[in-house]
Amino acid sequence: MSQIKCANLWQMKRGIQIVIDGFDPSLNASVKSRLEELGFHQGARVLCTQAPRLGAPKLYKVGNAVYSLEKTIAESVIAHPDTSE
Amino acid sequence: MKQLLLVGSPNSGKSMLFNRLTGMNQRVANFPGITVDTAMGPAVGRSDLLVVDFPGAYSLTPLSGEEHVAVDAFYKMLDVPVGQIEAVVCVVDATRLEKGLVFALQVREACRRTGHPVMIVTNMHDVLERHHQSVDARGLSQRLDMPVIPISAKSGTGVDHIIQCSELGVDLPKSDLRKDLIAFDSSVFRNLAESLSNEFGPKGDYLLLVHNRADHFFLSTLTGGLSFLLIMFLLFQAIFSWAAPLMEGVESLIGLTAQSVLPLLPSGMLHDFVKDALFGGLGAFLVFVPQIFILTLIVGFMEDSGYLARAAVICHRPLRAFGLTGKSFVPMLSGVACAIPGIYAARTIESARRRWLTYFAIPLMPCSARLPVYGLLIVAFIPNESVLGGVLGLQGLAMLAIYLFGIFMALLVVSILSRVKVGKGSDLPFVLEMPPYRLPGAKTLAQLAWSRSGDFVKRAGPVIFWVSVVVWVLGYFPNQGTDLGESWLGAIGKFIAPIFEPIGLDWKYGVAIIASFLAREVFVGTLGTLYGIEGAEEEFTSLAQQIQDSGISFASGMALFVFFAIAAQCVSTLATLRRESGGWALPMSLLVGYSVLAYSLAFVAFRMF
Repeated sequence: MSQIKCANLWQMKRGIQIVIDGFDPSLNASVKSRLEELGFHQGARVLCTQAPRLGAPKLYKVGNAVYSLEKTIAESVIAHPDTSE
Repeated sequence: MKQLLLVGSPNSGKSMLFNRLTGMNQRVANFPGITVDTAMGPAVGRSDLLVVDFPGAYSLTPLSGEEHVAVDAFYKMLDVPVGQIEAVVCVVDATRLEKGLVFALQVREACRRTGHPVMIVTNMHDVLERHHQSVDARGLSQRLDMPVIPISAKSGTGVDHIIQCSELGVDLPKSDLRKDLIAFDSSVFRNLAESLSNEFGPKGDYLLLVHNRADHFFLSTLTGGLSFLLIMFLLFQAIFSWAAPLMEGVESLIGLTAQSVLPLLPSGMLHDFVKDALFGGLGAFLVFVPQIFILTLIVGFMEDSGYLARAAVICHRPLRAFGLTGKSFVPMLSGVACAIPGIYAARTIESARRRWLTYFAIPLMPCSARLPVYGLLIVAFIPNESVLGGVLGLQGLAMLAIYLFGIFMALLVVSILSRVKVGKGSDLPFVLEMPPYRLPGAKTLAQLAWSRSGDFVKRAGPVIFWVSVVVWVLGYFPNQGTDLGESWLGAIGKFIAPIFEPIGLDWKYGVAIIASFLAREVFVGTLGTLYGIEGAEEEFTSLAQQIQDSGISFASGMALFVFFAIAAQCVSTLATLRRESGGWALPMSLLVGYSVLAYSLAFVAFRMF
């Protein structure tokens, strides 16, 4: 798992866990704030639970909830693979 | 009258708790954002206490239209003298404690500042108990210096404690949890919620693991797509095949009632009125109510099971190609039942541009008001035969085809509009919480379908009755129904006849179409009344049979299908669009644009067939 490189949430495959580093500066401030309230904040561990093909939104588990994020927003969340497990 | 305010995150079970507290029947479903307006009612056993249910919100910093409604209304409510609010009850889903606590902490701080009592209710403990989990409510209460009450709104466990606690009086939280809360910084609330959830919340992720297995099936590229298509196919087949015996039962009942009542009435105007306007007009409409019941039953099952959110994910990518979003799927599917809740549900779409495009799509969705019209036309024009060895009914396939045509037209129109500048504001992205899978209760579903069908009859019934009366009076006089063509209605009909001649329809259909601009289903009642006046026979005959006997061509039938699939004939929908869009520009452009498009394509269909 730790060998998989990913620079943002969208690049995650199913079953991969990563740690959020921050957000793309171009991301709308209110959207960033909402993502943080939902648990997508710097340092948060995020697990990709479903990654359907054909560009469909992916499912991410953060905290004790699962959210579906589309490509444009998932690409704005900068992250690195979680090497702690 | 004192107030008890219910607030909380979407899908935390507020509306179910509201129903428990008030004994009312507010709509509940397993999908975030079902409640889009405040609801209120007196508490059971406490007539001095008004319970207010707010739409769900993730934060007191709103993002979507529904959150603006909730947050604005909440702050307005807090702006009352201290003592008027008995308690603010923040409902939190105990299975997703962290998410709910972020909002609960914001509410706690807002109430502490305004001096209103506040408590947290952790809901869905029945689910936790099934998995041998719990929330340490006492520990959380001590830490937050406020009451924390564990409940199950579904079973009713603990609900009484809310009223008891509120009646005894709730003290204000004494302490600032953190000094930096003064800045109302979302990151502070979030960090605090995370640590509180870890300390006092349920442990383990096995609930999510169970859901993950189901998600793997329903969201994978192959099985997800196939299961979605199969569910949609079954939905439309069921509307026709499951409802058929019920419809035949209602029709027989109306026929038997007519046969029993009509001989008791003396010949003359009253007899003719009851036969033509009541049994012919209103009765023809009531025959189709079972289809609406079946439709709302299945859509309700999809909502309550948690599948609807998955369907929104599956549809997101295809809908994006047309300028919409996966969140447009739920308003559009709601629009299959009725456009009005669909338009309200569009508030959950954060992007103003995509919300506007969804407004354009909803009136083209094949709503239940079209169902009586389609049902009538299908029985009149499509043979009751089966294909593929009796597996598929032709009439069911025809229903599916006309529904798909409506959906296709909706996507085509918004696709064109999305390429021109429609709508205002930013284009916010798609973020949707996945609700847990649940097995819907049969009783809840039946109640929901019964209630929605009843609402439909209550809303449409009076309109159809009065239109039937007016049409009957105009058609009966001045020659007591002996010659419909020479009646007042005949004169009006012949005046407008040139409009409908190019699509092969005589003046009676023209009158029914004009009347149906009040509401589509009026078409059936109006036609029933007209044929009732025209028919000299004493016995009640089905309207479809009378249409077949009238000699109308198949091409004209297809033109009617196309016209009703597109025309925006619903005063209530237009009024709702005016309210939601804040002006008449959108509803008027829809009315004119879709009427012209409907007529033009009906003409093309008439020529093609």
